[in-house]
Amino acid sequence: MNIVVCVKQVPEVTDAELTISSDGSRILADDLEMDINEWDNYAVETAVRLKEAHGGTVTAVTMGDEDSEDVLRQALAMGADEAILIDDEDFEGSDAVGIARGLHAAIKDRPFDLLLAGVQSADNGWGQVGLVLAELLQRPYASLVVDVQVDGDRLTVQRELESNTLERVSLPLPAVLTIQSGANTPRYVSILGIRRVRNIDIEETDADDLGLDEDQIGVKSSSVQELKLSLPAMGEGAEMLTGSVEEICDQTARIIREKGGLQ
Amino acid sequence: MLPGRPLFWQIQPIWLFYSLAFIAVCIFAAGLIYRIRLWKTGTGGFPRINSRHLIRLFSEALLGKKIWSGDFAAGFMHFLIFWGFAGLFVGTVLLSVHEYIITFLSGTIYLVYSATLEIAGAMLVLSLGWAVVRRYVQRVSRLENRGSDAAVLIWIGGAAVSGFWVEAVRLTALQPQWQGWSFIAAAMPLAGMGSHTATVWYPVFWWVHALLSLGLIAFIPYSKLVHMMTAPAAIYLSDRTAGIIPVDERIPDGEVHTVADFVGFDACTRCGRCAEVCPATRAGEPFSPREYLLWAQQRAYENAGGNAILRRGILATGTADALFNLHRIWHCTTCNACIEVCPVSLRPPDAIRQRRSAVVEAGVEMPEMLAQSLKNVFKYDNPWEATKKKRAKWSKDLDLTDLSKNKKRTGKTETTDAKATGDICYFVGCTTALDTRAQGLARSFAFLLNRAGVAFGTLGKKEPCCGDIARRGGEDGLFEMKREDALDVFNKYAITDVVTSSPHCYHTLKHDYPLYPAGPACVDSSNLRIRHYTEFIWELMEKGRLVFDGSGPVTITYHDPCYLGRHHRLFDLPRNILAAVPGVTLVEMEHHREDSLCCGGGGDRMWQEELDGEMKMSALRIEEARETGARLLITACPLCLIMLEDARKAAGLEKDLEVLDLNEFLVRRISD
Repeated sequence: MNIVVCVKQVPEVTDAELTISSDGSRILADDLEMDINEWDNYAVETAVRLKEAHGGTVTAVTMGDEDSEDVLRQALAMGADEAILIDDEDFEGSDAVGIARGLHAAIKDRPFDLLLAGVQSADNGWGQVGLVLAELLQRPYASLVVDVQVDGDRLTVQRELESNTLERVSLPLPAVLTIQSGANTPRYVSILGIRRVRNIDIEETDADDLGLDEDQIGVKSSSVQELKLSLPAMGEGAEMLTGSVEEICDQTARIIREKGGLQ
Repeated sequence: MLPGRPLFWQIQPIWLFYSLAFIAVCIFAAGLIYRIRLWKTGTGGFPRINSRHLIRLFSEALLGKKIWSGDFAAGFMHFLIFWGFAGLFVGTVLLSVHEYIITFLSGTIYLVYSATLEIAGAMLVLSLGWAVVRRYVQRVSRLENRGSDAAVLIWIGGAAVSGFWVEAVRLTALQPQWQGWSFIAAAMPLAGMGSHTATVWYPVFWWVHALLSLGLIAFIPYSKLVHMMTAPAAIYLSDRTAGIIPVDERIPDGEVHTVADFVGFDACTRCGRCAEVCPATRAGEPFSPREYLLWAQQRAYENAGGNAILRRGILATGTADALFNLHRIWHCTTCNACIEVCPVSLRPPDAIRQRRSAVVEAGVEMPEMLAQSLKNVFKYDNPWEATKKKRAKWSKDLDLTDLSKNKKRTGKTETTDAKATGDICYFVGCTTALDTRAQGLARSFAFLLNRAGVAFGTLGKKEPCCGDIARRGGEDGLFEMKREDALDVFNKYAITDVVTSSPHCYHTLKHDYPLYPAGPACVDSSNLRIRHYTEFIWELMEKGRLVFDGSGPVTITYHDPCYLGRHHRLFDLPRNILAAVPGVTLVEMEHHREDSLCCGGGGDRMWQEELDGEMKMSALRIEEARETGARLLITACPLCLIMLEDARKAAGLEKDLEVLDLNEFLVRRISD
């Protein structure tokens, strides 16, 4: 089974102190660590496990600057065979359709049975690229997938719905799936693993090569316009404790005692 | 007639005996060669023999030094079996020499020879009986009982006892005048057999003995008896640490175990001394070094190529039902307690570390918390997910020299910082710099250095991670990267003299960094002088630059960090420091020095709480500390400090016992 998996490099923001540029247009990423989008990591693991069980190849594709090569190397180290980097500033400001058009153009001429993407990206969080890709490819689509079983020329997948409900659906191949986080345990990528794949050629392409112009991608084509980024204002009732660890602990204990948490 | 013994008396055909002997030796050789072929798939190769090897071989293999220690009964039993068996073997060889090369076994020499063999046989039979009692009556708990253990005892016993019977029958038949020298054979019960009957029956007894003995020879390489050969080989190989193969030179999915590891698997007699002292086993975790060795041996032979019959022979009698699986390798704290007690000098933690590197390379069976910590080391240059800024925060108010800002040493511009003249680099380490409890160590040590007037500095925000966690966890690529980064930083700021907080950094910098092959491919670390803070403080005390006064008597106990004690034999040094402080009474815990208990923080266990059993290792340790009645528990390692402090709180001992780093204690006792 030949699989294409879409990946994206995103800043790691869990414990980071975010700063936004003064004009509110972007997050200052200088101090941020970059990593593979969490959902995409599960998608790559799903792809590699399917390859290990059923044979075939895995191709990882990403859109981003040259630093995004890191996530492709990670996918290769996990077991992908090929990688494509779409590197073009013209894609900046694209909406989900613009991004999906780029990815679609890069992979549409490859024969593949399955296309995987993460449910959403940690930075933009639109959750649309996989769906739009399915539409562009005219392929059946399932989202929020946590389990994939191959059944001849069909797939049986589990979708994770709310309240711990699982939905089992069957769809014909070729198909497009978006993979939910927690679908598996993505394998550890060792430095040795990354070094082993450093000589694999990454196919690089851009909007020109892909035959896309600014009517189709970038700010001009985008149906949504980003106005301003801001950090959420501190809500009422929130109190930030400051001081040394001991002082913070003392204050915390005092608050818990005052509010009746400790009798 | 001179005393002597007719060889092959009444035995026909002799060629049959020699044919059988030839077959037995062939089976023996085939098994041994099969094992050696497996060993050769390991990395590292054999070192050249030197005088130190020979001394070790003599004391540990021949005299069984480590078998005696800690278990006199086992030592004495093994002594009797060893020398009884060896005596009979040498006796048989001498008989062949007498028959075919030089005739010498007659007269007095024969009588002495005969009596010696008599004693050797008695030693063997008696000690085998003792072994049976230990194993099946006394049921020594560290021994695990398998069918092959009984087979070994019965077989050797059968060969030895049948030998006495052969002798007894021959004496009855021939009635020599000197039979008093064969005092044991003379006492063998023969049911009133007469001289004639004995002559007729003698060949039957002889052939039974011959078959048992030849069979035993053939059986040796397929049983734990192979340790006759493999134990000396393992002792010989244990005397050096295998160098590190740079990751770029490794074969993908290649063998991770070294030749020494493989020989070690074959040398293990399952005596269980390691399981007795392993802190993880003690804490009820599903792990013991022995189980790993057996499991790894079984896997190695299951996957070995070559003759399937030999493989099955070794697997059938040598190893079976090893209760282990791959997930358990992460339990090892690399405390090296097992190495102290192993009679054949095996190094299970080293073998386990090698196996970890294979699991890391495959990536699919990594424990999640460890994987996260390793990713943190890659991204943040520390396992604690802390930004660079946080690394120097502990010393914010201390006004220490930052060696990374010491422009003078780079030789390009004049220094702007008058204080930047420090030669000593205090290598704080990730945990000491970032953990709020361990920071007390750093602050106290800095205080002592200032008090002693030492010119020193730290690398502040630029201080690299030494890579200990990567090395212990088998993330060899990451370790290599950290090593290169760290050496680059040292080189950039012309740092050659390093003092560490942590015995773990100390070991990594001092022991592991030089394990890379010399050459242009790897950064050289030989210009570095690495000391642990205990060594440095002792030097300052000897020079009289640190003086402590008595502010009242105090009873303390000292916890040996594994990487200071067992790994680097620094047992006396910290105790000497404590003894030099007036008013200190040092009381020892039940386990101390070489058999000290691990706190449970080493070998990356600090970052894998999920492996803890019902009882934490640190809880066992804190209980031993409490039993001493000491008011203070002092240690010299940030990991021990954190683990023991947590255990003290968990045990509700806040009022009775204080856990302190050695520096923290010394700061309290410093003279004004």
